Amino acid sequence: MAGSVFVETPPRDAEIAVVGGGVAGMSTALFLARAGRDVVVLERGVPWGDASGANAGTLSLQVKRTEVLDLCKLSLDVWKRFGAEMDIDVGFGQPGGLRVATTEAEVAHLREYSEEQRQGGLEFEWMEGNQLRDMAPWLSTSVRAATFCREDAYSSPLLSGGALPAAVGKAGGRIVGHAEVTDLKREDGGYRIETKRGALRVKTLVITAGPWSGQLARMLDVALPIYVDVNMLSVTEPAPKILDRVITHIGGILSLKQLANGTILIGGGWQGRGRFAGMEKFADHVRLGQNLTTAVSVVPDLAKLRLVRTWAGYEAVAPDALPAFGRLPNNDGAYIAAAARGGFTFGPAQGLLISEMILDKPPSTPIGRFDPARLLTGAHA
Amino acid sequence: MRETDLLVVGAGAAGLSAASEAAKHGLAVTVLDDNLLPGGQYFRRLPTGYHHTHETVFDKERQRANALYATTGQKGITYLNDAVVWESPENGVLAFARGADSGRIRAKLTIIASGAHDRPAPFPGWTLPGVVTAGGLQNLLKGQRVIPGRRAIVAGNGPLVLLVGATLARAGAELREVVEAAPILKRLAGSIADLIAMPKIVRQAVDYRLAIMKSGARLRTGWTVIEARGADELEEVVLAPIDATGKVDRSRARAVKADLLVVGFGLMPSIELVRLLDCKLEWKPLRGGWVPVRGADFETSRPGVLAVGDGAGIGGVEMALREGKLAGVIAAERLGKLSRDQAANLKAPIQAEIAKVETFRRGLERLYAMPPAFLDLLTPETIVCRCEDVTAGELRARQDAGFGSTAALKGTTRTTMGRCQGRNCLRTLSALIAQASGQPIEQVTMPRPRLPARLVTIGDLLQEELPPIEMPKDPHLPRGERVS
Repeated sequence: MAGSVFVETPPRDAEIAVVGGGVAGMSTALFLARAGRDVVVLERGVPWGDASGANAGTLSLQVKRTEVLDLCKLSLDVWKRFGAEMDIDVGFGQPGGLRVATTEAEVAHLREYSEEQRQGGLEFEWMEGNQLRDMAPWLSTSVRAATFCREDAYSSPLLSGGALPAAVGKAGGRIVGHAEVTDLKREDGGYRIETKRGALRVKTLVITAGPWSGQLARMLDVALPIYVDVNMLSVTEPAPKILDRVITHIGGILSLKQLANGTILIGGGWQGRGRFAGMEKFADHVRLGQNLTTAVSVVPDLAKLRLVRTWAGYEAVAPDALPAFGRLPNNDGAYIAAAARGGFTFGPAQGLLISEMILDKPPSTPIGRFDPARLLTGAHA
Repeated sequence: MRETDLLVVGAGAAGLSAASEAAKHGLAVTVLDDNLLPGGQYFRRLPTGYHHTHETVFDKERQRANALYATTGQKGITYLNDAVVWESPENGVLAFARGADSGRIRAKLTIIASGAHDRPAPFPGWTLPGVVTAGGLQNLLKGQRVIPGRRAIVAGNGPLVLLVGATLARAGAELREVVEAAPILKRLAGSIADLIAMPKIVRQAVDYRLAIMKSGARLRTGWTVIEARGADELEEVVLAPIDATGKVDRSRARAVKADLLVVGFGLMPSIELVRLLDCKLEWKPLRGGWVPVRGADFETSRPGVLAVGDGAGIGGVEMALREGKLAGVIAAERLGKLSRDQAANLKAPIQAEIAKVETFRRGLERLYAMPPAFLDLLTPETIVCRCEDVTAGELRARQDAGFGSTAALKGTTRTTMGRCQGRNCLRTLSALIAQASGQPIEQVTMPRPRLPARLVTIGDLLQEELPPIEMPKDPHLPRGERVS
């Protein structure tokens, strides 16, 4: 496999190991490798094979809580820079997004929520009546109002899954697939990592393993409570233009977008079924129906399209639903990005910020409130 | 929700035979058919109200066909056409899309008779207009009496090649060449003892051959198509012989002008539904590849779910008719309409016939065993995934870059993720992975089955009555299990 970004076994020694080959891990590895550091990514399965590849790729500012707006803006900026400055095609698009309200109560809720976000620094436009119809004639007449955020965007989980690992390799990083970590130990001021593809010693350890992060932290005696959602997602056959904005819903669970290839992604976070232990995850028949019902109630033309595929993917969430990343408590030289609620959106920012910590650079945005130490069992009420 | 004793999915030879037999013994049977008219592929017919004067090779089948069509009006049978089964929300229940009539059905027993589709056979130019599959051509001819061209070449491997050649000849095409990849003439002596277990079919094959000869077409064996050429549509077809080692001998290649190329390199069982039902599969290359594991009485690894006909392993129409009939008896026995003795008496003659068909098939399999020249035809520009326009060159470059697994190739190129849901490309993708990794193809990971089993219109899925939506109080908070 000449020219491959992947290596069969990890080196015996490396400066930095990143455990978890999804968006947070690849972003971390990318910034470290580009800074000339010796970095190896250890992935339990196929890189990008779980949450990073199974999500909808929605990068929406206005669905986020006010506390994370700055972090979200930073991450959107990094997503954009991947393509614009680093020649990494992640399928980024920024058509702006509409967050819709369909009842009087939802309109009131949207006003209240968006006002709070405005105070948190979000820019948006209030849309209703003809203005809304002119912008989005494809919306159902049941949509009474919407907020339009120009910064709402998307990127392609599929394209980025090929492009980011390739970029890591190009920058000098190494990636080892099927290298599930079976043990972690502190040793000689660094870490000894046992994997299914061999052991290695590193100075610096970064855990970016999504829902598996908590189990890895526990190997270093850190107990972090992590939950996992099983989000469903559906995609239609390719179609001529149906909608040209990213859609979210203030009162319903929904995300909608039409990609460059004409397919429409329908999601929002409806829960599938499954157990984390067995890696079993399936779509749920009833909630798929409810997801599609909600989608058609907002964009009626979707009813004419055919459904090609529905799947389910994990999302790691902290109990307070805020991102949890930074230094791994009580372990010098170890870092973690354990959960985000929007891990695909925040992954690039988490990677950048963790690389800044490792490189002793000032953080691009303050991250104190996301310190995972807040979640330590006992510290978390 | 609808309820039924026996649910039959598919209304081809196997499905209709099963339904007919089961209903005869008193079962309430529902047949879900994704076609508009019963008959499936082999017994496909003109839409209601269409007439034709031109005789085809299928006219000899009229009697058997009419008997099958009549099944849908038989007492005890509810026939639902244009119904796409897309998922199983719970054990014993299937969901189907059928316009305003979409919904779910609960059955005590389910027989899946899902049939087969053409095996994809990529070579340079195979996506040019004017190149069609054998199954596609049969559909056009039987369902519309259309020949999508004039000067025709038929190329491929298997009994369909002769059948399609004869069909085209009798339907009035200018048949130029009929090209069979296996050296069947050399092998005939070694197969004939088994083949004559079904003398009628042997006679039929001789008829097909005569029809082809009479048309003036050239019949080649041990040759294959290696390229289809043309600016915007098919203009000429390049043929070449296959040598004794299974390699294509390009030095003897020759180009033949044509505007229709029919390609048939065999059929594959349609296993979408059995996969979605999590039935165990096994690799049987002589039966078309992946097939559901079946126990005695055709039961899959999923209790209460039987599989018959080509969808359970390519066996042809004669096998499908008999397996279906036998499954009908089995269903009636299992649901208490026949005693064990009664059932045994009914089963014995059908099983004896199935044994004959199996003997015949063994002869056929030896006759048509395909020389292993397949991936040699791929050039870097040859499209492998035609929904997403992915070429063999792109896939091989990804493989060289380390994205060599099914998941990584799917993820980075979208191969198998388009409208066809992988039916036209997964086999080729798996073959490429097997070639690069040195694994046998059956060890290459299959993508996880996803619903819907077939494409369904979203509007249809909204017909079902659903419980009211309960919104989480705070959609940001976790909803799933705690994992650490």
